[in-house]
Parts: sequence; C-alpha cells; structure tokens
Amino acid sequence: MAQLFDGLKVLELAGHVAGPFAGKLFADYGADVIKVEPPEGDRSRHEGPYKDDIPDPETSALFLHLNTNKKSITLDVNTEEGRGILRRLIDQSDIVVEDFRPGQMADWGLSYDELAKDHPDLVLASITPFGQTGPWRDYRGSEITLQALGGPLHLNGSSLREPLKSGGYVAQYHCGVAVAYACVAARFRVAMGGKGDHIDQAIYEAQAGFRDRRTVYATGYQYTGYVAKRQPPGSRIAMGPRPTADGYVNIYAGGTKHFLPALDLIGRGDLKEHEDAEKPLQLYSEDFAAEVEGSWMAWLIQRDKREAVAETQQIGLLGGAIFTTEDLITDEHYRSRGVWDQVTHPKAGTYEGPGRPLIMSETPRQAPRHAPLLGEHNTEVYGALGLADDLERLRSQGVI
Amino acid sequence: MANDTNPLPLAGVRIAEITVVWAGPHVTQVLAEWGADVIRVEPITHIQPYSRGGERVQTREVARRSAESGVLVGAYPDNDPGEDPWNRNAPFNAHSRNKRSMACDIMLPEGKEAFFRLVEKVDVLIENNVPITIERAGITYDVLKEINPRLIMLRMPAYGLAGPYKNYRGFGTHVEGMIGHHWLRGYPDGSPDETGEAFTADAVAGVMGAFGVTSALLKREETGVGQQIEMPLAESFLPALGEWILDYTMNGRVAQPQGNLHRTHAPHSVYPTQGADQWIAIDIATDEEFRALCDVLGTPQLVADERFQTAVGRKQHEKALDEALYAVTRDWVNDDLFHRLQAAGVTAGSVHDEAVFMQSPQLLERGFFEELTIEGIGTHTYPGIMTKWEHTPNHLRTPPPKIGEHNEEIYIDLLGYSREEYDSLVERGLVGTTYSETLVPRTWLPATEPTSER
Repeated sequence: MAQLFDGLKVLELAGHVAGPFAGKLFADYGADVIKVEPPEGDRSRHEGPYKDDIPDPETSALFLHLNTNKKSITLDVNTEEGRGILRRLIDQSDIVVEDFRPGQMADWGLSYDELAKDHPDLVLASITPFGQTGPWRDYRGSEITLQALGGPLHLNGSSLREPLKSGGYVAQYHCGVAVAYACVAARFRVAMGGKGDHIDQAIYEAQAGFRDRRTVYATGYQYTGYVAKRQPPGSRIAMGPRPTADGYVNIYAGGTKHFLPALDLIGRGDLKEHEDAEKPLQLYSEDFAAEVEGSWMAWLIQRDKREAVAETQQIGLLGGAIFTTEDLITDEHYRSRGVWDQVTHPKAGTYEGPGRPLIMSETPRQAPRHAPLLGEHNTEVYGALGLADDLERLRSQGVI
Repeated sequence: MANDTNPLPLAGVRIAEITVVWAGPHVTQVLAEWGADVIRVEPITHIQPYSRGGERVQTREVARRSAESGVLVGAYPDNDPGEDPWNRNAPFNAHSRNKRSMACDIMLPEGKEAFFRLVEKVDVLIENNVPITIERAGITYDVLKEINPRLIMLRMPAYGLAGPYKNYRGFGTHVEGMIGHHWLRGYPDGSPDETGEAFTADAVAGVMGAFGVTSALLKREETGVGQQIEMPLAESFLPALGEWILDYTMNGRVAQPQGNLHRTHAPHSVYPTQGADQWIAIDIATDEEFRALCDVLGTPQLVADERFQTAVGRKQHEKALDEALYAVTRDWVNDDLFHRLQAAGVTAGSVHDEAVFMQSPQLLERGFFEELTIEGIGTHTYPGIMTKWEHTPNHLRTPPPKIGEHNEEIYIDLLGYSREEYDSLVERGLVGTTYSETLVPRTWLPATEPTSER
C-alpha cells in the first residue's frame, strides 16, 4: 500500500536530536531520507545508553531510536570536494534539514537564495539554538539552557527546592516536530503551485511557543501582572500526585464536578453534606480540607496505582498512574495496541522501541528498518551520483 | 528567485474543530497560524469544562488570590472574570487567535444537521474527545467520509480508539504520568509529588497533529481522498522518550528520576544567583568549557582539583562539584553571569519566568511577541508564532473569537441556511453568543465570598 511520503527526498544534514527527529518522522512514513554524517558519526552515536553499556557508536540507543529507516553516508563538509558533493545531494532533494551554526551554509556559498535559484521548490530548514538573526544568534544552547530561557523550567518541581528541567530532550524533540510540520506545509504550498522556503527554526522559539504552560502563563502574566510560581507538594486538596500501595497516581478529585461521587467512592459520603463540599478547593476550610485529604490518602494507599485509576475513571475523574518505563513497556494497554516496534540490528540485537505517533488509515507506516551503520549506504548513494569509481580515493582522502 | 510575497502555505484550507481543553486547540492554533481557516464548533447549550474557563465563575477576589499565589491557569484580564468569563480566559485566548467560532451542539439533532453541512465544506476535522463521545454523537470517520470522501479527520483521544484505556479521561499531565515522563523528570532524591504538574504532551501533540494533518493534505493532492489519523496524546509523546525505553528493552534498566542530570555532562544543573528564586542553567560537555566556566567564576581551584580533570571525573564527582559551584554562583547577578559565560563560550541560560521572558532581547529583536486587541479586554502582548520562514512574513491576524462570534457568516454564508432558519435556531436557544444563564453556576458565590468586589 502507498505510504504517506512515497517519493519524497529528504537530506538530513543534522545531528543529535532535533533535526534527526524531523528526519525520522519523514523516514518512518516512507520518505527516502539520506543522513549525512561527519566521518566520526552523529553526536548521538557517542552518547548512549549503549547495548550492554559497552560504548560503541553502532549501539547507542539515542542514535538507534532516532534514525530508523534512514540511509547513512559519511561526508566531510569541511573539504571543498565534500561541499561539491553536498551541493549535488542538495540539488536532488525536496527537503533539506540542517543544523550548522547561523550563516555557515551561506559562508560555503550554499545560502537558501543561492540553492533556490534553479530549484525554487526547495525547502531548507535550519535549526539553531537561537535562530539565524538577533543579538543571541551566536550564543550556545543545549537542552537544559533552552528549556530554562524559553520554556516552563522555572515551574517544574517544588517551591521548596530548585526548579527542574522536563525529561530527556523534550525541547529538541518538540522542535524536531515543529520543523517537520513546517517542511510539509512548505511542500504543500509547492504542490499547490507555490514556492519552497527557508525555514528558520530556533529551539528557543519553539520553547517560547510551547503550549506546556509557557504561552498560557505569558498570557496570564499580561492579563494579571503576576507570574506563575512553583507550588509546594500537596498544595491542592485531593488533587495531584499521591502515593498508592505500589507507586504513585495523579488524580483530580478535589474541587471538580465529580467530587461528590468521589466522596461516595472513598466511603466518605457523609462529607457531601458539608457546606464546603461544592466549592472550588481553594475555598475549603482547613477542617474540611484535612478531612478530605486524610480520607483520600488513606483510600489511595490501600490500592495499587492501576486499581485506583480504574476505580476513579469509573466515576469520571481525570487522572492517571505515574508509570516507570518498566510499567509502561509491560502495560497491557500499549501492548494490545501494538505500540512497540520490534527492531533487529546487526550489532545491537533485537529490541523494542516506540513506534508510530500517528496511525494513518489509508497510508500505513512501513515496517521499521534498523538505524543504519555509519556510512552503510556510501556505495549505494555515491554510486547513484556516478562516483562509484572515486569511492576508494574519496575514502583515502578522508572526504567520505 | 524567492521573494517576500509568498502566500501562507495553508491559505484556502478549511478546518472544523470539536476540540476541548489544551491539546486539540493547540493543533488548530498552529494550523491557523500558517493560514488555515479554522472554525471552532462549540455548544452554548452546555459548558465544555476546562476549555473556555466558564465552568466555574470566580469572583475577582478569588481570581486575584489565585494569581498572586502564582497559579495562573485560569487567569482573567485584571483578575476580572466579567460577565462573560469564557471570552476572557487566558489559556483559551493564548491558543484561539486566528480562529472563528460557531455555536453548535453536535449532540442535538439541529446541531448535528448543521455539523454535517459543515463537514461537506471543510478539508479537515479535528477532535480530541473521549472516543465514546464521538461514537455517541454518531460522527465517526466511516460516517463522515460518506458525506465528504476528501475529509481528513484527526482524532486525538488520550490513549487511543481501542485498548483497555480507550475511554480513560485525562489531561496532558495525567497522560505524561501514564507514559513515564512524570517519573523521569522528578528529583533524583525526591518523590513524584514534589515534581509538580507539566503539560508537555499537549505541547508536542500540537505540532505533531499539525504535521499529520498537513501530511495528509499533501497526500490528498496525489490521491484525491482523505483519511483518518489516529493520534493518541500518549502515543504522540512516546517517541520523545525513545532512548529511555530502549535502555529498558535492550538492557533491562528501569530509568530513575533524572531531574537536572545529564547522561554524561557535568556540571549540568541549575545554580542559584543573587535574589529570591533566581537560577542559571549551566551545561558543560568538555574540558575546555569547564576551564572557561572556572575562569569566569574565578575558581582556578576547581580546574586544579584532581577529581574534576576529565568529563568522566566531573560526572563521577558531580555532587561535590555542584556544591562548590553553588557557593560561588550565589554572589552573581543572574543576567550578568549569563552573558559573561556565553561570551566565554560556556553553554548557559538563565531560568526565566514569564515576566523576564517577555523582555528577552532576542525574542523582541526577532519580533516574536505581537499585540492583539480584543473587544472588552483591551490590547495585550501575546506570544507569537514559533517558526520563521525567511520568505513568508507571518503575523497574528485576528483576535480570539468570542463564543458564537461568527454564527451568522458561517450558518448563512457558508452553510446556506436561510435567514428564517437561522433566526429560528437563535430563538430556540440553540445558536447564540452566550451560554444560557442556567448553565453558569454563579449562585453559590455571593454567600461564600463576602469579600467580592462585584
């Protein structure tokens, strides 16, 4: 059956997380994605976690996850011949995703306007920490510093402690999706008879537009003159993370429209008669708050997290369990939905990873092909460029 | 040669949404920003909780107390809910610019008829309700594609259209628990109840949904037919946890809460600076960066310390290193340290709250923030568009719609209702520009809120 991106040619000149995640979204849904790696390989090959904890650029989980269904070629773009080859690769691509420092491509004579002269359909996405312009364009950025400046980092954690970043590389993953969206939107304009474009995506600006609290509370600050702050643990009565017999849940009971049924559920129907019972939880009296919170905690601690969630879902409460990765991967729901792709890799063996973010009814995703070995497709890709006879020389000169 | 007069890429694409709360409306936000005509289909015959902020009408005093304590999730202009809080709610107004609103209750026969007429006229339908709601309304994709075979329908329930958790209800914060993110981002030496809430999955789902919809539009240009896209909030976020999941499936390791830790970098955390709750994030990967950091801070003893000579050593003795740094960073003025570290080639970033963030010289220079004037609310600065296209200048176009603001133009001009038919829907209270008075729980407020200014 046809796939979403059949025939789409993508060149990935990007490393680590953001650019490669954009590339993965194209590759997993059928595009022909060529990943250009420096001779030592993508940075994510050198980060781990590694299979059996033995450092090996072929078995880094971060790389294996982000590069399924792609072809890998090696190319030293710091050589003039390398850049000549790069230009040919760009000219045959529909979408190019790059993450060099601002202005680097232009310094090489590969600015968008130059590239688009004979190729007005080209979509070039440039990912940088702070963007192609502005006073901070040459500043360094990383996951934690960009979450700090751009995102809701100041709100994560407890008011009694230091603020926390969000998990893993979420700012960069999010940025990668934003780039993939922009690229497809530009290709849609091309399909409608319009032109390509140069997309300037700052990870900082992706964070600045982050729906997770930042845009909401920036608007709230404009409206009220107050800024949002971290809150102490347990500050909302019968609402938020609480311990259970086997872990934690995060359930909304206090102050919600299902609070009265929740009092029945936990065997405290008597509290429904209290004058505070139908108020928002900020207006509970101290006595009522203590009664509710004590009864709620006592009810939860007698149950496993999945049971507590299942019982409270029955009466319409919003909530969920707080899963570890083990809980997640062994959970029956995700397993029954076929969420996990099984991948077999020549060096990392067989493992499972998260599969599709989207299930397309007419254009199903292809079966996953393992992330490429470093330069695995040099012969194929350079051969197609007519460089078959030059491979040996290019290799010995360190160009590929 | 490209020029600067390119049309927005989604100009001419019409989208209907029956979305609630945060994630669904965020998808349509980013689609509308790039040119799509987005129509919110919203009932006035019942209130959608947590969507427009109308389900609990607070007094000014409660709203002010809440904002003052740093809880801004239901913020109103000047802390005043006004007579129509559903048109004044910060979370709603932060996503709904560029959209139109049509009053229509898909659960009632008249509403369903109007909705079916709308489905004929749109390219895309987006919803993020509990699956049973869509089933009860009888508007699943197999029904709608008979009306419009070119329709693209994005469905984004919390956990999927099938499976044991199919009808589980949850927000992004609950979903992030059920996929392991809440656990992962906690304090390494703390418990999940100290972690606080995040809505990270909503943010990722916004762009992921827009990516899916636009991809299906692109495909439709080739095939001529639409399709259904199922994007559970949970599954749209799972790839962002890939390396942690593979660590379990390859190595059997259960990821522990990471807080501000990095797998190999140290120092890698937030460090206090002068003032209350002032922090700076610092991320050191190499020996060179570590020396630059110590140069700026004036701590040659840390460079000389045997424990901190290599990246491996710094990671191994991370706690001691952090404590040594805390003692020094405390004396610095936050912004000064940020720029000095950057000038020295150190990856650092201040922890900015929204007030400081909105004064960022970088964002101001790039024109990220934009002003919108909303009738009855006034002019405010709002976060703008998260992506720049060099040859397609883009700005916010219209303010957030008040509920039912575009009823007439949609019912009459777009759907072809006659004036008489339209007036009849209005008379019967099915179409209008406010919720029925009986739906708005105002009555308990005066008795419990003697300090109300209203």
